[in-house]
Amino acid sequence: MEQPVVKYAKSDYIETQSGNKVSKQSVLCGSQNIVLQGKTVIQPHCILRGDLANVRIGRNCIIGTRSVIRPPGKVLHKKEPPFTFLPISIGDNVTIEEDSVVNAAQIGSFVHIGKNCVIGRCAIIKDCSKIADNTVIPPETVVPPFTHWEGSPGQMVGELPECTKDIHIELARNFYSHFVPV
Amino acid sequence: LSLSLCPYISTYKYSMSGVAKISPGAIVCRGALLKGDITVGQGTVIHPSAQILAEDGPIIIGENNLIEEQTIIINRMPPKNDDNSSDIITSNPGTMEIGTSNVFQVGCHVESLSIGDFNSVGCKAFVGRDVTLGFRCNIGAHCSIKSAEVLPDNTVVFGKNQRHVIAPVDKMSEIKQHDDQLIHLRRTLPSFHPIQATLKKIAETM
Repeated sequence: MEQPVVKYAKSDYIETQSGNKVSKQSVLCGSQNIVLQGKTVIQPHCILRGDLANVRIGRNCIIGTRSVIRPPGKVLHKKEPPFTFLPISIGDNVTIEEDSVVNAAQIGSFVHIGKNCVIGRCAIIKDCSKIADNTVIPPETVVPPFTHWEGSPGQMVGELPECTKDIHIELARNFYSHFVPV
Repeated sequence: LSLSLCPYISTYKYSMSGVAKISPGAIVCRGALLKGDITVGQGTVIHPSAQILAEDGPIIIGENNLIEEQTIIINRMPPKNDDNSSDIITSNPGTMEIGTSNVFQVGCHVESLSIGDFNSVGCKAFVGRDVTLGFRCNIGAHCSIKSAEVLPDNTVVFGKNQRHVIAPVDKMSEIKQHDDQLIHLRRTLPSFHPIQATLKKIAETM
């Protein structure tokens, strides 16, 4: 499947040495706590909350327009202060589409999160899974690998083939190579 | 404690259309958009890129509320529908009042004129103008309530069909969790964001 070429004005994006393309219209709070491993595209009006806790995003990820990535807050007893924000880590080749809110603790590699999703606080999404559009994943859910989730509250509706990993690598690479400055 | 004893309210001229009154002890990030006649109570935390728009009347926000990013709180008259005027729910222009210790999570849209205490509005939820939230109501993520209704105390709204359930909650632990989060945010946010009202500003006006 060939993807269309997406053109952007060079002045709208900042390209780092490792190939990350970050829109100037995105909001990166506490940028010293945000790690982008390389070739990640962050689209306009995204919010990454590095001020609350560390945010680590792997290689070849796509973060869609207006989505929010926000470390989950948790009360840890026997600790001072009791309330802390936990770091969020996102693996490689992950696609997060428009308007999604990601409050997860961990997202594996080769994951697809659809449009307008809400990933609840401290949820864990394992490798090679797919979250359909408009899904609400409740707090502290664990989404197993190779599963397809849908609905509100989210439920598992199917399984994914073993080739999911290869499809995602292909898609992410294709997107990046077709995302070119004018 | 000295914060809560301070009776002065700093005024911060934000836009042409009005002045936001931010009480001492409240943290309003500069990235948030406050338009019109807005009063922000003590200890309230407003994250960057939240929008509070007092278009058709003032908005009064109480103490210790948490307003997260992309939230839209708007006091707005519904558009007039001339075709079936009988169906229009009577919406008087009025003041929007938000009580204490409410949480508005990422991306929610609130138009309700009367919000009580200890409520929680989930991610991307919608609360219409004629809805009244009482005490400790919990609107789940993606739920939208548009009709005119008064939600009884402890109502939980969730799921695709907006099911309403009245659920008892663990009162103390929830309040403590909310307070702990606010304490944490009040301490950490000023080191990352420019803040709209500071104690220094108040000292100048005194």
